Amino acid sequence: MTRTSTLLGAASSLALVALGASPAFAAGTTAGSTIQNTVTVGYQVGGVAQTAKTASDTFTVDRKVNVSVTEVGSAATVVSPGQVQAVSTFKVTNLSNDTLDFALAAAQLSGGSAAWGGSDNFDGTNVKIYLDNGDGVFTSADTQVTYLDELAADAAKTVFVVMDIPSTQVTGDIASVVLTATAKAGGTAGSQGAALTTSATNTSGVDTVLADGAGATDAANDGAFSAKDDFKVSAAALSVLKTSRVVSDPVSGTSNPKAIPGATIEYCISVANASGSATATNIAVNDPLPANVTYVASSILLNGTVTGSTCNTDGTAGGTFASNTVTGTLSDIAAGVTRTLVFRATIN
Amino acid sequence: MNRHLPASLSALAFSLALSVAASAAEPVSLKGDVQVERTVTANGTTKTVLAPPTTVVPGDRLLFTTRYSNDGDKPVDSFVVTNPLPAPVRLAAEEAGYEVSVDGGRTFGRLAALTVADAAGVRRAAQLEDVTHIRWTLAHLAPRASGALEYHAVVR
Repeated sequence: MTRTSTLLGAASSLALVALGASPAFAAGTTAGSTIQNTVTVGYQVGGVAQTAKTASDTFTVDRKVNVSVTEVGSAATVVSPGQVQAVSTFKVTNLSNDTLDFALAAAQLSGGSAAWGGSDNFDGTNVKIYLDNGDGVFTSADTQVTYLDELAADAAKTVFVVMDIPSTQVTGDIASVVLTATAKAGGTAGSQGAALTTSATNTSGVDTVLADGAGATDAANDGAFSAKDDFKVSAAALSVLKTSRVVSDPVSGTSNPKAIPGATIEYCISVANASGSATATNIAVNDPLPANVTYVASSILLNGTVTGSTCNTDGTAGGTFASNTVTGTLSDIAAGVTRTLVFRATIN
Repeated sequence: MNRHLPASLSALAFSLALSVAASAAEPVSLKGDVQVERTVTANGTTKTVLAPPTTVVPGDRLLFTTRYSNDGDKPVDSFVVTNPLPAPVRLAAEEAGYEVSVDGGRTFGRLAALTVADAAGVRRAAQLEDVTHIRWTLAHLAPRASGALEYHAVVR
């Protein structure tokens, strides 16, 4: 910062306009701007107007470093066990009055309070940070980064923290991740600048003042800011029940039938998803037939219902039979819903 | 010739007046200064201190001071000090003793009496951030008199 105090005699009574005027940002006057205050005095002596005089004082605006990191969405990212590239979205805003680089680091908690309730109890793997290409959605067009390059004053970037979820996790498990953005000197595109510290002394150039707040895990005035987000596991909790009943026999017909050779058996495979679970998709049911029974052609009914624990013989025709195995794919099963696969066979 | 004579006479009078003013040994002097107001908490008490503008960042509150003195041995009249606000600062509060302008120094008054046009051309009451100039008017300045004029501003 330089400062001069001058006493000038000016020939013009017009007010001098301040030099170094710069556009005002929300982040404030740009670092390095000069503020020149000039006063002009007009006066008379003995009723005669005198030459106007001016005086001015000039100093330089220093660099105020401030950064904000916020989690986008205000909720945990819901993930499935074994999910690859689960995404948490953050926004990094440069609140400084200068263009700066921002180093990015994603750290996982080891225990402790999660961001959106509960406690951290596992770590994801393969954690990476990506810079959004502008559409706000994580796609293959986004680039993996370790820092934000040349972020202008007041500018913001969307950043994704991406990780894989171990397949062993169960519903309710939480992995918390903290994204920290640390301000670095800007000025050279394509390379991360030097670390910034509050200037110890007043120099002839632009001094630096770290003026950031305290984030999730960082302190105030340390040139960094951090925010926390959670990956919360929601698994499907499926249970399968297989029942059978005798529909008819060759002797008694459908009246009180017995399981004698030639009798028709109805098998019911019911798949239930416990309440509070994630919706299960792509549910494939395979049932190899036991010996001594023969499949009744085209008898498979999919997506039927149960009443209590009793299979209703409903649903729509579908499924296949090959290699003595009944195969069918059920529709998505939401939490608390049960779907069935029903088919018939005869006793040899 | 007749038509030119008054013009050359008035030009002569004007240059005489100028030389008189210049030879008056600069009867009035001005000195500008700026300080940063900082709130300091020591021993549990909070107080405001003034510091040199060694480190100034957006949001800092500044005190601009202009010291004036009449160094001559004649009284000075209609002593009007005009201070355009530097673009990177805004007035912190309207204080007594000066008038403000919101139109680049063409008209002056108290802030409450001034209006500015918005983008749609509608007049609205002027705000502190609209102030472009400050003006102090001292009707009379005795020989050897001196004083200081102050205003507070905040770095945008």
